[in-house]
Amino acid sequence: MNITTLSFFLLFFSIYSIGRRIVGFIRKEQGQSLFKLMMTVSIWGGISYVAFFPVQIRQISRQLGFGENLNTFIFFGFVVVFVIFFKLLSILEKNERLLTEIIRKEALKDI
Amino acid sequence: MHHIKNSVLILIPAYNEGKVIRAVICSIQKEGWKNILVVDDGSSDESYKEATATGIKVLRHILNRGKGAAIKTGLEAAKKAGFNIVVTLDGDGQHNPKNIKNMVDLIEKGHDVVLGIRDFKKRHIPRYKAFANYLGNGITWILYGLWVNDSQSGFRAYNKRALNLIQTNNDRYEFESEIVREIARHHLKWTEKIVDVRYSDYDQNKKNKQSIGSAVKTIIRLALFE
Repeated sequence: MNITTLSFFLLFFSIYSIGRRIVGFIRKEQGQSLFKLMMTVSIWGGISYVAFFPVQIRQISRQLGFGENLNTFIFFGFVVVFVIFFKLLSILEKNERLLTEIIRKEALKDI
Repeated sequence: MHHIKNSVLILIPAYNEGKVIRAVICSIQKEGWKNILVVDDGSSDESYKEATATGIKVLRHILNRGKGAAIKTGLEAAKKAGFNIVVTLDGDGQHNPKNIKNMVDLIEKGHDVVLGIRDFKKRHIPRYKAFANYLGNGITWILYGLWVNDSQSGFRAYNKRALNLIQTNNDRYEFESEIVREIARHHLKWTEKIVDVRYSDYDQNKKNKQSIGSAVKTIIRLALFE
């Protein structure tokens, strides 16, 4: 375990993000889903784990044959790709809902 | 009963049901139900024309948005028009209009929502439908904590209270499970009623029928995006 100020800083943000998502999911707030909850837990959980257990991550990267620096890039690459994917999915979902609302308004205009 | 019938709206979502929609509407009219609303969900066939020819009110989605979206449009229309009870049934003729009265009676007895359930013990119901429904019921229970015997049935009845409280977001088949969530969320008084289903050659051969693939897709969407 490697405890630094940065570790606690990341842990704080992870708890905040995961907690907010869990509360939203339990309250069944609009737009919340199990998929979003799983994504948030895996991304922020992963970040916290790396922050506190960098040695284990290094061991895994050695076993996989990656160099130390490359490992960092790969890790951040994954995070970025997941965040982008997550954002795109949210935008797509929002647009689908907006499209349906427009079509519904058009259908109901004579009532 | 005549007075009650005037306050009931029969809502039929329809997507490419041009071959049968007229017969479906006529069979409902034959049972004495006059307030019928069809929501044509962007059909590319003659559904809109056929439904309009019967003289009932038909609303039209200019693009196909899914069964859930069509029902929601119909429910919004019912609220605007001030109906006290709404009964939804499928546009492919699988539901028996004779069962509408039983559903309305239960609403009249004080239930907010009545869920029509298929009797899966009957042999004419395809096994894959029974299996997919069981999976859907399980996931619905895990997600919303309410066990229903037919989470995917389209034959349902709602009173005014339910109409005002229920809020849904899903456009596709997940809508049916979302209703169960809303029942649990608002503590609505609900019950189930066994209804007749008729699976004809038309049902089994139509392109937009619920297949194993679509059932799996619905289950995945329910599990992940709900």
